Amino acid sequence: MENLNINRHISGQFNSELESVRNQVMQMGGLIEQQFADALTAMADNNVELARQVRIKDEEVNKFESAIDQACSRIIAKRQPAASDLRLILSIMKSVTELERVGDSVAGIASMVIENSGEEVPSLIGLENMGQIVLKMLHNALDAFTRLDLQAAIRVHNEDKKVNRQYESIVRELMTFMMEDSRSIPFILKVLAAARSIERIGDRCQNLCEQVVYLVKGVDVRHATKEEINSFLAE
Amino acid sequence: MITLTKSNAEKDVLAHLTAENTALEIKNLDLFYGNKQALYNVSMKIPKGKVTAFIGPSGCGKSTLLRCINRMNDLVDICRVEGNIELHGTNIYDKSVDVAALRRRIGMVFQRPNPFPKSIYENVVYGLRLQGIKDRRILDEAAENSLRGAALWNEVKDRLHDNAFGLSGGQQQRLVIARAIAIGPEVLLLDEPTSALDPISTLTIEELITELKKKFTVVIVTHNMQQAARVSDQTAFMYMGKLIEYSDTNTLFTTPQQKQTEDYITGRYG
Repeated sequence: MENLNINRHISGQFNSELESVRNQVMQMGGLIEQQFADALTAMADNNVELARQVRIKDEEVNKFESAIDQACSRIIAKRQPAASDLRLILSIMKSVTELERVGDSVAGIASMVIENSGEEVPSLIGLENMGQIVLKMLHNALDAFTRLDLQAAIRVHNEDKKVNRQYESIVRELMTFMMEDSRSIPFILKVLAAARSIERIGDRCQNLCEQVVYLVKGVDVRHATKEEINSFLAE
Repeated sequence: MITLTKSNAEKDVLAHLTAENTALEIKNLDLFYGNKQALYNVSMKIPKGKVTAFIGPSGCGKSTLLRCINRMNDLVDICRVEGNIELHGTNIYDKSVDVAALRRRIGMVFQRPNPFPKSIYENVVYGLRLQGIKDRRILDEAAENSLRGAALWNEVKDRLHDNAFGLSGGQQQRLVIARAIAIGPEVLLLDEPTSALDPISTLTIEELITELKKKFTVVIVTHNMQQAARVSDQTAFMYMGKLIEYSDTNTLFTTPQQKQTEDYITGRYG
């Protein structure tokens, strides 16, 4: 966020308030990235203990959300931020909500691992692949947010299509399993929910990137088509 | 948040002002105090029936520009103005313009309330008496309408003949506004109208400004950026005698286009 010049306010106190809230967002992002990676590992290795830890740590994510929202509302009340400061606070508040929901999705994946432990679940290679792609997306989206990198944000935004295609193919695969062996349906449904969670994390990464565009350019692209976004960026 | 389409549409309001909707047009205005230039080539259109705010650091020329609009700067000997200011298409700096008549059309309210040492009633009708109006009914009606227009009537209706100095600062400022609107101006210039007032009186005046624009074109100079953001429809940011950015208030306070504007409204080092 160097180009935002957070540290150039006449009020040193305001500088440190913004710096502190920005650091908290980065910490929260780092925690969620680690949580997601752990959940994927737990899923690949069928590691129930790791999955349990992921679920417990989700509490920390929730605490971050509350703390950051509180810090932002204090800044709004005391500093009446304008222009890029205002956009920074608004985009942080929205991004934190997205991140907290990513946390919930990650906890959902961990739950699937715990609940399906000991059951014979078909190989989940496709799901693991999709998980790794979305994990990369999350990493890059957080990176784009930290560095205010518009181009990186757009790249991540476009990645989501790939994830959606993979999700569809996983659903087809899981449907085949269910048709072949109806006894597997209860477990497969849980896997399906986990696949859906991962796909949703991809959508949340897109939303994070839209906040980056708003923060940098002051333009709301949440409901814009890809063509509209591209033509706007070309201006 | 601003959508792609809305931000463009908002900018168009100023870009596509018709002559009919333009109260004032400032054209290439330069102003000198002796050898020192205080305004540099300022050009802008001030829309009719809207509130336009001038903001900027001390000494940026915002009050100077405001004073040009009703030729208050004529009172300064060493002041020289080049360029035009047109009020509904007529250049107010034209030699044929009667300055007293101009100031009846463009009223002004200052930072510190300056009631005359007279009764509340006499303060309001002062301008009308100067015009030679003596009919008690006309004066009474004008006093009531103006005091209502300035949101002061209910507080003073039972003591109209008390001395105006007995009013609080906020009430005095509203009295001065009532005096200014009593003579039926087209434009009201407010030079830091709330900087000497407490927060509650300030809010009352701000509320009043929103009402005033239904009848008058309002131009306000303020040091308080949040005030500009709250009350104005357009905001002009000035810096060192130059008009840096002029756009609708919503755009200027969320997505300013110039770095200098951004630095000023977010309180950064320039």
